[in-house]
Order: sequence, then C-alpha cells, then structure tokens
Amino acid sequence: MFRILKKSLKTGVVTGQHPAAAPLEETSTSEAKEKARPFRSSLAFRAVDTGSCNACEMEMNALANPVYDIERFGIHIAASPRHADALVVTGPVTVNMEHALKDVYQQTPDPKIVIALGDCAINCGVFKGSYAVTGPVDRHIPVDVRIPGCPPRPVNILNALQELRKGSDKG
Amino acid sequence: MTETRFYDEELKVAFPLIVQDEAAKGEFSHFLVPKDLLPAITHHLHTQPSLHGRLTLLWAVDNRPIRDAYGLHYLFTLGASRSWVVLSTELAEGDRLFPSITPHIHAAMWYEREIRDMFGLIPQGHPDLRRLVRHEHWPKGTHPLKKNFPWDHVLGRQQGEHHFRRIEGEGVFEVPVGPIHAGIIEPGHFRFSVAGEPIMQLELHHFWTHRGVEKLFEQQTLTAAVPLAERVSGDTTIGHSLAYCQAVESLLHIEVPRRGRYLRSLFLELERLHNHLGDVGAICNDTAYALPHAHCGRMKEQIMQLNDKLTGSRFLRGVNRVGGVEIDLTVAQLAEVVAEMDHIEKDFSELELIIIHNASLTDRLETTGVLTERTAWDHAVVGVVGRASGLDQDLRRDRPFAAYDELPVKVVNYRYGDVRARIRVRMDEIHESMRLVREIRLKLPQGPVAVEPSRRAQAREWALSAVEGWRGEILYMVMAGENGTIHRCKVRDPSFANWPAIQQAVLGNIIPDFPLINKSFNLSYAGNDL
Repeated sequence: MFRILKKSLKTGVVTGQHPAAAPLEETSTSEAKEKARPFRSSLAFRAVDTGSCNACEMEMNALANPVYDIERFGIHIAASPRHADALVVTGPVTVNMEHALKDVYQQTPDPKIVIALGDCAINCGVFKGSYAVTGPVDRHIPVDVRIPGCPPRPVNILNALQELRKGSDKG
Repeated sequence: MTETRFYDEELKVAFPLIVQDEAAKGEFSHFLVPKDLLPAITHHLHTQPSLHGRLTLLWAVDNRPIRDAYGLHYLFTLGASRSWVVLSTELAEGDRLFPSITPHIHAAMWYEREIRDMFGLIPQGHPDLRRLVRHEHWPKGTHPLKKNFPWDHVLGRQQGEHHFRRIEGEGVFEVPVGPIHAGIIEPGHFRFSVAGEPIMQLELHHFWTHRGVEKLFEQQTLTAAVPLAERVSGDTTIGHSLAYCQAVESLLHIEVPRRGRYLRSLFLELERLHNHLGDVGAICNDTAYALPHAHCGRMKEQIMQLNDKLTGSRFLRGVNRVGGVEIDLTVAQLAEVVAEMDHIEKDFSELELIIIHNASLTDRLETTGVLTERTAWDHAVVGVVGRASGLDQDLRRDRPFAAYDELPVKVVNYRYGDVRARIRVRMDEIHESMRLVREIRLKLPQGPVAVEPSRRAQAREWALSAVEGWRGEILYMVMAGENGTIHRCKVRDPSFANWPAIQQAVLGNIIPDFPLINKSFNLSYAGNDL
C-alpha cells in the first residue's frame, strides 16, 4: 500500500504531456459537425478493425492512457455497437470482414457517425488493389469523418474528435 | 560448422536417396528429397535425439512459368547446434498431391492447410482439411498464390459455412466470440465448448484480416517493398522490415556497415520495450488491476514519444532500408536515449515491486493458462511464450543477426508456462533490452549507416532470414524474380506458430480467464492472417 501511494505521489500529473498536434487538413465537414450535434458532451465509439495492421488500434488504445486520457473529454469506448454513437473503422475492408462491417453498421443505432481512421480506411493504403481487399470503407457504408495518417498520432485523433464536436461555423 | 557436417553425413547415410545441394553450405544444409521420402526423413529429423529438429517453416513456391512445377520446402532448426536444415522437393507435371507430415509433426498442421488454400496442393493424410485462410465463401478452386491467379481481382462469393468441431452431451454449451471484440483489438473468432465453467475445447477461426500480403509482395521490386513489410504487423514494424531487408541483402550480396547493424539492434530493442511495457500493463488490466496498466501505459507512451523524436514515427516506420538504415543518431540523441532508459528503468523497477507483491494478482496469474513444455515443443512454439514454457531459444543468441554477434544477450527462461511466467519473461526482457541499449551506445562504431546495392539478384535465387522480434521468431523467405522483382515472399510472423497452442493452454480454465490468457500470449492477427 505504502509503495503504491509513494509511486502515485512521485509520478504526479502526466495528462497532457505530449507534443502538440500537427495541423491536419479539415477532417470533418459541416454536415458531419451538424450530425455530431447530439454528441457534443458525450460520445461513445465502437472500434471496428476491417484488416488494419494493428497500428491504428494501438494508437486508439493510447488515447485511453493517462497521457491522453480521452474520457475527460466525454469520449468513451463502447463494448458493443448497440451502445455506440460512432463507429471508428480502420483497415482496408478485407473480403472476409466485409459482411461483419455491414452487420456492425446495421447494429449501431441512428443517428450515428462513421469515422474512417487511418490511410487504409480512407484509400486502402499499401493494400490497395489486392484480391482480398474490397475497400475503402466508404464503398460499403457512408463515412462522415476522415482522419488520415499511417497511423494517425493519438493527439491528431483527439483533435479531430474535438473538432467534430465543436460545432459548425453556423452555430 | 563441423557439427553441421556431422548431421549432413548422418542424414546421407540414413537416406541414401537424398542429394545435398552444396551451393547453400554457409547458412544452412540443403537437401533435395524425393517426395515419397518426406514423411520418413522429417520424422527422423524431428524424433532422433541427436537431431531434435523443430519444424520452423514450411513453404511452397509456384515455379511457373519457367517450369510447370511446385516447390515445397521444409525448414528445421536442429536442437543443440541451432543449425538449419532445409528439405526441398518438387511436384512436377500436374502432380498436386504431397504426403502430409502432420500425423507425426503436429506443428505442420496450419502450414499444410495454408498451402492447400493458397496453392491448391493437397497434403495427403492430413487429419483436418477444412479451409484455413480462404473462408468458406471463397469460390471453389481459387488459389491466390498460384501464378495464374490475378493479384487484383476480387472474387464473388459462394454459399458455405465453417464447420466447427463439436462436443455434444448434456450441459455442453458453445460460446462464440468474435470476429469483432469488445475491446480495441483485431478481429478473430473463438469458439468455446464448455460444460459448467471449465473450457472443454477452444477452436480458433481466424484469417479475417487476410489482405493478400504475400501476393502484394510479388507486385513489388526487391528494394521497394520495405513499406509493405513494415505494415505486415503494425506493432512489429522494425522486426518485419529488418527480416525482409536481411533476406534481400543476402540476395544482393550486401554487407551492411557495422554502425547500421548496431542501429538496427537499437531500434529493435526500442520496439521490444514499448510492446513489452504495454503487455505487462495489459495483463494486469485483464485481472481488473488498473494501476499498473496506467503506469505502464505512461511508460510505453514515453518510449513511443522518444521513437517519434528520433525518427519521426512513433512506430519507427521508415527506419530500415535495403542496405542499412535511413536514420543516423547523433551523440546527443544517443545520450538522450540512454538517459530515458535510466529514467524508465528506475520507474519500472518500482512498479515491478508493486506488481510482484500483490498477492491477489499473483493468485490470478499462477497456474492460469498453463502451456507445458511438451505441448509447446509439439506446437513448435516460439518467442516469449516458448521461453515461458521452458524452451530455451532466442535468435539473438542462437543465430545472431544485426549486431548481436557482438552483443551477447542473456536469454530469459521460465519453466512453468502459466500467465505469471509469461509476464515474468517480459519483465526480465525489459531490463535486458535496456541493458542492451546502453551497451549499444558504448560500443557503437563510427562510419556509414547504409550502403547502396550494387549487384542485381539472380532470378530464382532465394534467401532465408530470421529476426527475434518482440513476439518471437520472424521468418522471411524471399525469392528473386526477373529484373529485381520478387517471385515469392513467404512471411512467417511468430503468431502463426503460436496461435494453435493457445487452444491447448486454455483447457480446464474458465472463460473469464480467457482474455487474460490471450493477453499473455498477445499474438498478432494481422501478422498471422497476412
């Protein structure tokens, strides 16, 4: 017990100790922002890997570590699509995952936001053209937000999610 | 070398019909074997106490259009000397059958099913010929790695259902899990059969993330395919790109400069560190002990930020290239790396005491998910999982690559094969990696970090390469095509060897312990599915 307390005191606050984000191009359109209006104070997302190399997954997991601590912005990771407001889809949509992706989309309640995370989800990346790849994601389900990068840094994902919920210029 | 000769002679005496290919004498012994002799000779290699051969890799090559023949190659690592023996055979003129070795070498199970799916060659006598990579909806008679299969053509679907092995009886239930899981992890399907709490059977149904990586390699040139290798399994960027580069370098007869080799070792250890730190935390988290998870997540983040600062990529992408590395480090950067190591090591040692002294955690980890040494050996398990089950193997020591011939590695070994042993292996390896980083800084020679390739690879020449990544042995077999293209690239992530073993490790455990056992293996889906 004493060890644990000492460790916690010694460590202090680490949240926010990361380099600033590189400015990305516009990731979400004003329509997407309008769609995200109900989720401004709380957003639960479900991650769907459709053939990613696992790097995007690691960066999403990093969002939950104490340095980024995504929960303090009201963003949660949902365990089931039925609890989700948004789907974060990674990977180039493999032939074997195509039906699973469509199922998940069906199972997510409306209104919902689809976020394509990483280059593979946006344009199939290095796997483009393969016999086993049917993507990108927007060939199968409508995509609202695109976060580029191979993989995108956690801070960029965080910023994109924040920007999405900031509201459009109209108000 | 003399020991290798001894094996060679013994094999030739026992099987007079095999022919030794003298060209390959340096790296491994190579024998051409008539296909009917395969079961006998592999059995001999595997069971003879003086040889004690472990099936390390099994791959096929479509040799068309040059010759209408398929090549089959079996790589064994021999017990004490860790030397390699490759057996090759050829299926010519419409022959699509080869004898299965699975009945006496269990580790060949998935390799032979994979060859059947990808090449349409039938392993005769294989106990389980269900599909592996191509799920049942793939049309009949389509085999992607055949040379006449178009790389960019997505096929239609047919009706089909995967048949799981069934246990029937009163009170036996099946629990399906996946392919999409509750946490942020990759897709895979697990089918449990339980009676009451304990798991009676687990069957894996994977390959959801099959992206056609090996076929994509064949569309690339030898020197340009490094970015693809980096993305075979994203968490093992350095491991995969290094194994790929080494194979190509031996095809192009490139000698990587010493400084380049040292830097490769340095980056490989950094990759091992951030992954092991993440795993230690995640294992604790799966017992609902969140505190070490938070601390480990913080330390892992520190190393990934360090990676980013040094190379511009948190995953160390773009570091390796054919001929060496892209990035050289300054004296100041090296000092920063070592300072960071000292800092994190102190931090981690304090956390380690917290973890080890928690009795309720130990209670969850001990005797959970036991993989016995015998089962591990039968499955030819590699890497962290193998070392936790008493298999004393580590390529950094056994077949030194990069700069490990000048950096002796203390190989961690535990015997119990439970989750606790697997977390202990990782903890000890974290300290060893940090020690290696310090040693690399002291020994780092001056000079260039890369050389340009000057020669061309001869078509149909092939090379093997092996790297001890953070999960375990990563193997690449690269065969050159015409004009610097790739004719065939066989990729073997350690996960492919280790996944089947998890089916044995969970037996008798309860389903709530499965996430914990799975985490302690922490295998890649992307690297397995290719």
